Amino acid sequence: MKILLVEDNQQVAQFVRKGLTEAGHAVDHADNGRDGLFMASSEVYDALILDRMLPGGVDGLGIIEALRRTGNKTPILILSALADVDERIRGLKAGGDDYLTKPFAFGELEARLMALTRRGQNSGQETALKVGDLTLDILSRKAMRGGKTISFKPREYKLLEYLMRHAGQVVTRTMLLENVWDYHFDPQTNVIDVHISNLRQKIDAGFDKPLLHTVRGAGYRLSENA
Amino acid sequence: MPKFLRSTASRLALVFAGLFMMAALLLAGLLWWNTAGYLDRETDAVITADTRAIGDRIEDFGLAGAVQTMNERIAADADNRGIYLLTDPRLRPLGGNVDAWPLKVGPRPGWYEVELVHRDRLHMARLLHVTLPGNYQLLVGRDVQDRVEMRNLFLRGLAWAGVAALGFAFFGAWLIRRAVERRIEGINRTAIAIVQGDLARRVPMRDADDEFDQLVATINRMLDQIQQLIEGVRNVSNAIAHDLRTPLAETRARLEGLLRQPAGTDVSLDGIAAAIADIDRLIGVFNALLRLAELDTGLRRAGFAQVDVAALVEDAAELYGPAAEVKGLRLDSQAEGGLVLNGDRQLLAQAIGNLLDNAVKYTPAGGRIVLNAVRQEDCRIAISVADSGPGIPEDERTRVTQRFYRGDASRHAEGVGLGLSLVEAVARLHGGELRLDGNNPGLRAILALPAQA
Repeated sequence: MKILLVEDNQQVAQFVRKGLTEAGHAVDHADNGRDGLFMASSEVYDALILDRMLPGGVDGLGIIEALRRTGNKTPILILSALADVDERIRGLKAGGDDYLTKPFAFGELEARLMALTRRGQNSGQETALKVGDLTLDILSRKAMRGGKTISFKPREYKLLEYLMRHAGQVVTRTMLLENVWDYHFDPQTNVIDVHISNLRQKIDAGFDKPLLHTVRGAGYRLSENA
Repeated sequence: MPKFLRSTASRLALVFAGLFMMAALLLAGLLWWNTAGYLDRETDAVITADTRAIGDRIEDFGLAGAVQTMNERIAADADNRGIYLLTDPRLRPLGGNVDAWPLKVGPRPGWYEVELVHRDRLHMARLLHVTLPGNYQLLVGRDVQDRVEMRNLFLRGLAWAGVAALGFAFFGAWLIRRAVERRIEGINRTAIAIVQGDLARRVPMRDADDEFDQLVATINRMLDQIQQLIEGVRNVSNAIAHDLRTPLAETRARLEGLLRQPAGTDVSLDGIAAAIADIDRLIGVFNALLRLAELDTGLRRAGFAQVDVAALVEDAAELYGPAAEVKGLRLDSQAEGGLVLNGDRQLLAQAIGNLLDNAVKYTPAGGRIVLNAVRQEDCRIAISVADSGPGIPEDERTRVTQRFYRGDASRHAEGVGLGLSLVEAVARLHGGELRLDGNNPGLRAILALPAQA
């Protein structure tokens, strides 16, 4: 994927750039708002990563607003040291697609970026989701694996649906908490891990090949391949 | 501006004195119009009637008739106030009680008010000059010296009264100013003491229950709040010094250890992972502190919306249920239907989450946690988390909500000691409170929040 990173802090920029390049992405970097806006509007990118506070007369929100006004729909991940709920809402209202507070783990950034860029792909009107031999029927809210029908509690279903819609991608605990539970805070203990292990009991127990994998230091991934 | 006028109280008193004097002048004017003015109008009517009578006589009986009438009127005028003069066209007197045509009365007929010699004295007189048929000139008038003197008397009285009123105004201003100054002085002195660092000082009350006492009470409450906040900041600085320094020191030691590894050995990835975990813990503390600071400002209230308490409780129990189960605990929840409050769903969920998290952490296996929400007798909504754990000794309960406070029992457990402070801050933001009771055995933490009106 081709990604534009607009970030004035050299240390952070280098860290993100290195990580994304190693993951096989092409990364362009601008260290001020004016250059960032110019590059974002003159070239086609798969995703933008924007810092909010930037030198160069145009800040992150300014870039987003300018791009959205011209009909540019490139997915945008906002990076910011401003952690207030209000700031987050402002960022998303301006047209950002996701908001990540500094400091962040690279795994979190990558997972969110991937979730953004593939979001459009399977949000269609399909009635069933499929990963390996696991099929989730959206209408009956039941899953089938190896001829066995599995039923879920409402939240388990939502959790599995989210994981299946992001099949093959790493999904972090924070992403699950935000998207499955709609909570935007740190629940301190490993509550999500316990939910995941319950889900794992239901879909993986008794089968040779596990589908729900733990990605160390990042989160979880649902996929056929380990 | 003179010092006296710089005082608000003095200016206030002077403004009132001015208003008072204006009202007095208005009253005097009305009085004058209704008394002296009435007399003036009477005089004018009599003069006009006289003039007409004499004019009629000259038409009916000629000049002699007019002179005779004039003389009769002069004779009948006991106080000798009437003034009459009839002259030929060249202003030579033909009759009357004035020796010569007064110089100040012009050739044109009309009303005049002039000084003339009457009864051997220079008196003020009001005169009507008319021209009779045959171009004879008639002057009829009244001596109005009395009225002029009365008017002068009146004005002099008014002037003295004004001077006296001004004197009273200044005296009043001085009194008010002294009273106000005396009350303000207490506030001033306290403020100066506080500026100089004596935060414990309070403005003395007078027990008069007046506006000043109300102001003083408000100021004292404000000072209490400020003192509390400053002490809070001081506590937080101490706590930060303690609770952040320790993990910082650990991280630093770990990283420096990695740096000092003998050349050629592989850098331990586990060491780096542990350092990152330390730093994540520090970030967690910072986030908690920032959120507490954000809550303390009260700004989050702007985003309040209706929150369905039953759904809130159910979601929280659903999130923490599996974690409790894994520890061998039973988590039951129940909520009365139809409970709605005005608040921030995220913060309330986090507060309940923190309480559940504590309960799960401190309750030994086989125990039971009950989360429930009911409407209290005072109409507030009570969301409580009761556990069968060790509880908190009564004398420690007020201290556990202090920032970074950790009970002896929990000193080695995970966490940063900000959980209950956050719950308490969320309760306060919602106009409620956090209460900690015993649960025989265990702890019952109750969030009492006002229901939506």
